[in-house]
Amino acid sequence: MLVIGENINASNKVVAEAIAKRDEEFLVNLAKAQTLAGADFIDVNAGSGHGSLQEATAAIRWLVGIIQAAIEQPLSIDSDSPEVIKAALQEYHGEMLIINSVTAEPVRLESIGPLVAERQAWVIALAMGTEGISDRVEERLTACEQIMAYLTGLGVKAAQVLFDPLVLPIAVDTRQGLVTLKTIEQIKSRYPDARIVMGLSNISYGLPKRKLVNRAFLPMAAYAGLDAVIVDPLDNKAMSLIKVADMLIGKDSSCRAYLRAHRKGNIVD
Amino acid sequence: MPEDIISLIQESVIQGRITKDDEGMDEGMIGQPGVTELVERAPASGLSIQNIITKGLSGGMNIVGQKFEAGEYFIPDMLASAEAVSAAMKILQPRFAASNIKTKGTIIVATVKDDLHDIGKNIVSILLRGAGYTVKDLGNNIDTQVIVDAVREEKPQFLGLSALLTSTMARMADVIQMLEENGLRDQVKIIVGGAPVSEEFAKSIGADGYGADGFQAIAVVEDLASGTES
Repeated sequence: MLVIGENINASNKVVAEAIAKRDEEFLVNLAKAQTLAGADFIDVNAGSGHGSLQEATAAIRWLVGIIQAAIEQPLSIDSDSPEVIKAALQEYHGEMLIINSVTAEPVRLESIGPLVAERQAWVIALAMGTEGISDRVEERLTACEQIMAYLTGLGVKAAQVLFDPLVLPIAVDTRQGLVTLKTIEQIKSRYPDARIVMGLSNISYGLPKRKLVNRAFLPMAAYAGLDAVIVDPLDNKAMSLIKVADMLIGKDSSCRAYLRAHRKGNIVD
Repeated sequence: MPEDIISLIQESVIQGRITKDDEGMDEGMIGQPGVTELVERAPASGLSIQNIITKGLSGGMNIVGQKFEAGEYFIPDMLASAEAVSAAMKILQPRFAASNIKTKGTIIVATVKDDLHDIGKNIVSILLRGAGYTVKDLGNNIDTQVIVDAVREEKPQFLGLSALLTSTMARMADVIQMLEENGLRDQVKIIVGGAPVSEEFAKSIGADGYGADGFQAIAVVEDLASGTES
């Protein structure tokens, strides 16, 4: 399971402040801590809202600059604004990268798609279109098909695409756990070369003991075909479960990764 | 006797039970009458629709709100209760015409342009309906112009705007500005909400109120409603 470390995100107020104050030390440490904890990619989101577009692009350029200078791990460039992603890509030199994200909305496909093709980047593709997140498997698959068709037309390979099946809160609709799991299975069978990625925090919205609910969902999603997870790598219980899930579904030969993590003292129950 | 039915209706709202076959928050409720059975037989015992709604349904929902604020109830509890209220209102609806009961007011709700989030808005809509308001939900990703046109045509007392992205919250200011340009701003009270939205932001764009969650949204609407009456 690939781990995309989610901690450098301006929706977290502490991180937003650090970015606003250009607190390099804090943010670099956060990137290093995630790397040390086993993150394969470091997601960077500098926000895009309160200030002008100019401020937003300046913030992401600065952020990408300091993080890539400090760590070897590839970045996942995260913004809902194509302009901000464009600015980040001008700054980022890494060969391996994730663009986070595109949807089936034509305006997003048209702006993000060419960037993916040009950089031969990986891209996170959210299973939604202009109508928002559907509560049904079929409509999410339709969005995936539209995205894949468009990207294929630009020469992008399925192996560059990480589909996010999306997760709606179980508190609002108790069918939604299964909707996400079935969406994962269907995408996998349709696009065996593509990867499936998911964030873990949405499923538990509105419930007590959210971390427990999030963690429990992970092995189920792994069984359905999840390949990558957007997660807090400093949550060692979640990281332990990722190792356990991989092992239990036969993706950890001779249980090497699990035992290695155990010997380092990184497996907690 | 009628008082007993009122308190039973309240209790079935608090328990979030639509029919006698439903589970409640507490164990061992299956088989006892739910809000459907109670409301159907309430008029026969001399209860006015007014009392059923204000004392029974809204009374129960107020307690649910307190439990939610206190952290005792969670979103699924609250939604089950709101659904029980909606089921009861559906039964009572045909009798509205016969009496002179009006809803508390009309509120138009929408998630602004380029924002596809609707869970928060839907929860607020359900709770407002439960509190006795007529809610017209325009949906998500709604053009500023469409919202302004709806205000012009429907003449609601309230407009609820939702935005979940830092990149779309400014659209709420656009709506308010366009309402002003069209001379409609004074006709409607505007409340705003959504994850990135704050009290300060609401003030800065000239909204009338801000709700951090569904029950706060209702409290703000009720405050504004009593303000407009006085």
